[in-house]
Amino acid sequence: MRTISLYVEKESFIHGLDPVTKLWLTASLLIIPFIVGNIESTLVCLGINLALLSVARVIRRIFSILAMSLVLIITLFIIQGMFYGGNRTEAFALGSLVFYREGLRYATLLTLRFFNIISASMVLILTTRPSDLIESLVRRGLSPRIGYVLASVLQIIPMMISNTSTIMDAQRSRGMETEGRLVTRMKAYLPLMAPLVMSSLVATQERAMALEVRAFGARNPKTFLHEEIISRHALPIRVLTSLGLVAAVIWRVIL
Amino acid sequence: MKPEVMVQDLSYRYDDGEEKALDGVSFEVYPGEFLGVVGPNKAGKSTLCQALVGLVPHFFHGNMDGRVVAGGIDTRETTVDELSKTVGLVFQNPFTQVTGAKLTVYEEIAFGLENIGLPRDEITRRVDEMIALFGLEHVRHHNPFELSGGQMQRMAIASIMALRPRIVALDEPTSQLDPQGSAEVFQAVAALRNQGLTVIMAEQKVEKIARYADRVLLMHKGKVAACDRPEVVFSRDNLLDLGIRPPAYTSVARELDLRRPDGTLPVTLDDAVALLRNSSVNS
Amino acid sequence: MSAKPKTTPAFTLSTMSLVLIPVVVGINYIGKLFAQTLKLPLWLDSIGTILAAFLNGPIVGAIAGLINNLIYGLTVDTMSFVYAITSVAIGLVSGVVGINYIGRGVLPMLGIGLLVGIAAALVSTPLNVIFWGGQTGNVWGDALFAALRKGGFPLWGASFLDEFVVDIPDKVATVIVAWLIFKGLPKRLTRLFRRGASA
Repeated sequence: MRTISLYVEKESFIHGLDPVTKLWLTASLLIIPFIVGNIESTLVCLGINLALLSVARVIRRIFSILAMSLVLIITLFIIQGMFYGGNRTEAFALGSLVFYREGLRYATLLTLRFFNIISASMVLILTTRPSDLIESLVRRGLSPRIGYVLASVLQIIPMMISNTSTIMDAQRSRGMETEGRLVTRMKAYLPLMAPLVMSSLVATQERAMALEVRAFGARNPKTFLHEEIISRHALPIRVLTSLGLVAAVIWRVIL
Repeated sequence: MKPEVMVQDLSYRYDDGEEKALDGVSFEVYPGEFLGVVGPNKAGKSTLCQALVGLVPHFFHGNMDGRVVAGGIDTRETTVDELSKTVGLVFQNPFTQVTGAKLTVYEEIAFGLENIGLPRDEITRRVDEMIALFGLEHVRHHNPFELSGGQMQRMAIASIMALRPRIVALDEPTSQLDPQGSAEVFQAVAALRNQGLTVIMAEQKVEKIARYADRVLLMHKGKVAACDRPEVVFSRDNLLDLGIRPPAYTSVARELDLRRPDGTLPVTLDDAVALLRNSSVNS
Repeated sequence: MSAKPKTTPAFTLSTMSLVLIPVVVGINYIGKLFAQTLKLPLWLDSIGTILAAFLNGPIVGAIAGLINNLIYGLTVDTMSFVYAITSVAIGLVSGVVGINYIGRGVLPMLGIGLLVGIAAALVSTPLNVIFWGGQTGNVWGDALFAALRKGGFPLWGASFLDEFVVDIPDKVATVIVAWLIFKGLPKRLTRLFRRGASA
């Protein structure tokens, strides 16, 4: 049974950091370009993120993720290049289609920001087991009941997905058509959804009771089965990221 | 002897129910006793089990009359989590009992203990003990959902037992399992019995109940139809009218009119064989 | 979880709500999966969120929407974090309106679908403008966006319509599916959710 997760199990400096420190790191590197607001700061943060990803030896993953958004980025350049509100200076023309510098520059900024958001998030996501992240957050005050929800989502989704192919096969063997005209395909939707959805919803009653009889409703502080290990690099990294954030704000306010 | 479980004139109606799910149910269970609960579907077995751990009335919002006292605690006066340290409940479906939030069998069994806030070393000790007791050693690091039905249900029993209740109720714990899984669960139930726990088990498999139970509570339409030793309950003439089938050995013995001196029929294989041997020696 | 809670802390999620949320997030997920498999021209990726709102009210609907996008962002598509607020709006609106109209047939559901679609488009538009210069990434919506911008239509209006034309049919269909599922559930279960939300 796998949980859905992009986590890549490796040994690295980044992997060894505790999830909350990585959350700090990701959040700061993600937000700083928005605070500062220019292309240069976005490039700097993107550079740092890519460096961190190489240290974690997961850099190759990021390219496939970025490649998936290629179409979106191309349309971004086309539409903004032609129709951006601030378009003044013509850059080039393809027949009757005129592209403008301002629009292309804006599309570049949006693309870099997007790359930065993805790579900053991946510093956390690719190097952190989701369950560890959730447990870290619960230790720092997230309600354990919400922690339970987050952890169980990660397991329930793959389970439901693994059931979908069984249902598809079963319904097809009963003669259901899943291809052809739109109306035919629309008619197939509900019979595919219903069995899995109904059984999962009905199961909630017994699961809730089973949790209750295992003292899920207890109000006392809960024990954590595992001890938390905080790397000695955690503190300097948190200080550094906080300084970066402060610097960004100062830049924005003064300049 | 003071009863470990006392159910007095218990009636319950779910808030969507037309009829009472339980209607004037009274019985007692003594420390270390094994009470089998039999009856057709909708006889009230599940509701009764839920009442023993306080889910009725705390989880469902219906009307409850009467009293349930388990291990000296009136279930109405306390909470379900407080009761979990005294009385446990294992449900039908092993799959829905998995919390879904834990990644290993070990962590899954520890779930309840984390909730009641036990110290970490105590949790480790208890979980190890349960893993050994229920034969889960080889799967301790497996994901709970990867287990077979029988293993999953044993894990559910281990998770309840780790809370060290004095009383354990089981609500048809083998009804969703294949024969292999059922056999595993009955072995686990035998282990509970050997631990000296008070066990209350609702079960369709009457042969198994005949073998394990000290007494049998027969339920019908929310009422107690009988509560006595297995051979007395299963020797009744009107069992089929009450919606249950007697053990196979009992039916055969009835055909052969093979009875004990007190008039009851044998309920287990050993019973029947012993009686047959006796009667052939006598004749 | 007691029958007569003496003191209820500000708002606690009942255990029923807590086990509901992972299931509805899963429903969102497979709803989308089946829509893709059948190549339907709709997303159908918020059936679960709306179902949570119908079963358990706006707050649980909103939390389900939030958690849906957090988990989706963590595991599949990072940008989904950003649109968490849209999912929250979908859960809130369908819960506030749905709870009163759930028993009244299919017609009110069309209205709810419309409202949810408007709410989703309203909340998504600023995000689309900030992150994508107003585009949505949907071919039909973006074609409309380009045409409107070419004709000198204001950015925000064009962006809203870009989102709106895609959201309306999707959300109406989503609400109808959620309603059909709701109707098929056992009464004891739906009652448990209702009561759990208030206790």
